[in-house]
Amino acid sequence: MNRHPRRFSLPGAAALLLGLAYASGATAADDGDGSWQPAPYTLGQGLYFPGVGLRVGGYADLNFFSVQGTKTSYNVRDLSLFITQDIGTRWQLFSEIEATNPVNSTGRTDDDDAELDIERLYADYHANQAITFRFGKFLTPVGEWNLVHADPLTWTVSRPLSTSAAFSRHANGAMMFGTVPVKGNDLDYWVFADDSKNLNIGRDQDNAYTNFGTTETLQNNFRQAIGGRVLYHVLGDSLSVGASTLNYELEQPREKYWLNGIDFSWTSRYVSLTGEGIYRSSTSHSPDERGGFVQAEVPLWRRLYLIGRYERYRSSTPAQTSTIRTTAINFRPIEGVVLKLEYRDGSHNELLAPTGWLASVAVLF
Amino acid sequence: MRGHSQQWSRWLVISVLLMRAGTAWAAQPQIAIITAIDGPQLTLDQNTVRNVYLKKIFVDGNGQRLTPVNLPSRAPVRVAFSHALLHMDDTQLQDYWDQQYFQGVSPPYVLGSADAVVRFVATTPGAIGYVEPCQADASVRVVLTITLPAHQADDLPACPEHPAP
Repeated sequence: MNRHPRRFSLPGAAALLLGLAYASGATAADDGDGSWQPAPYTLGQGLYFPGVGLRVGGYADLNFFSVQGTKTSYNVRDLSLFITQDIGTRWQLFSEIEATNPVNSTGRTDDDDAELDIERLYADYHANQAITFRFGKFLTPVGEWNLVHADPLTWTVSRPLSTSAAFSRHANGAMMFGTVPVKGNDLDYWVFADDSKNLNIGRDQDNAYTNFGTTETLQNNFRQAIGGRVLYHVLGDSLSVGASTLNYELEQPREKYWLNGIDFSWTSRYVSLTGEGIYRSSTSHSPDERGGFVQAEVPLWRRLYLIGRYERYRSSTPAQTSTIRTTAINFRPIEGVVLKLEYRDGSHNELLAPTGWLASVAVLF
Repeated sequence: MRGHSQQWSRWLVISVLLMRAGTAWAAQPQIAIITAIDGPQLTLDQNTVRNVYLKKIFVDGNGQRLTPVNLPSRAPVRVAFSHALLHMDDTQLQDYWDQQYFQGVSPPYVLGSADAVVRFVATTPGAIGYVEPCQADASVRVVLTITLPAHQADDLPACPEHPAP
């Protein structure tokens, strides 16, 4: 599937974490003059080493799926390690190293799908209150989903097509982002330039279709791109409205595209609604690509939610319009742990999001 | 004689009203936002403090890293602060910080008590904290006072007798 498959060394990672945990204890003791101590470790917060400005954390998810056209399967789809390092007062380094499919059970005995990737690697420079510069490999700021796509953070196991099919999920280059006040409300902004042609970090491939059971292997890595996004918060943050625009050339097929997107998020006590939509046109004779989704999240009891999503997407490869309906349960029994169960079906969805059941257990650690 | 009596009545009514207003004002619970004496180069209005606590603002005008600190999650002052300034309840905040954690941004440090917050803020450049006004001593500077709705007065602990700054 991707290049450079490597085995992920779980014992090595465990040894690293244990070593750092030991170092953390020592640091905390050195810090302590009795006046203050950082909070003890909890799931979803990472291990913090205040003496050296280092935080280590990550997430893992175990997935199960039974969808049309594939064998029933479970796998550990992602095992990600976050490392955040403060450097001085203005700089911060962040990396996410991801082992994809380190454990797989489809009846096969090979582990060709297992790989180790640099999912993100960047340095942030906090220039002032309203501007931060980011250099490296980062998530492409189009819509909300792509920026928080990790399994413990999403409402459903599957991912809407409009959040991955038409653009590269990662960019390599520079970004400026921040928050500015506009008419008494916050406006978040992102502006970025990608030069993957010369700066490709990690060299992994961005799959356009990420859903379980799909056999389509279209990849859409950027060759070069420029774009931006704004997100305006109103009604005391209960409503956010966003817009994205991108001009880019893909590595394969070597064509230029223009993408525009909108998204929103509205939260109330009894129901929350989110939605994203994109429209992509090509400078060549490729057909346009367009689609979007609307999703409702209803709290049932404490942190148990019922999710309903309707999605429609017109893809160019394959050239078809898919309609996908998803009904899901999302339960967060304790901080950092998320259990999900969902059923999806639709029309013309066999290739990109086959009908069936999906479930996952995700831990943010 | 009657005019004199009316005048006394008027003064009496005004005095009672002023006393009631004074009592109501005194009952309004407050939270003090504190920094070190030579604190951050930043105009700390409510929106700015909110964005510092949500880690949308990282540095002050001189490039000093800002370090907001929290009280424990169930502390009444923190609950009141989160509602009044961040406009989020525990669940919303937890979701927000989970998303920020994925971006490499960590929530504010948590310190065990108001005294710890005062000591940490007093000795840490760029630190910002919140306590009840009576707990802010001369080692810190109160840069902003947030008045809470009167009905939250019973939720906050009785303020121990500390010297005012």
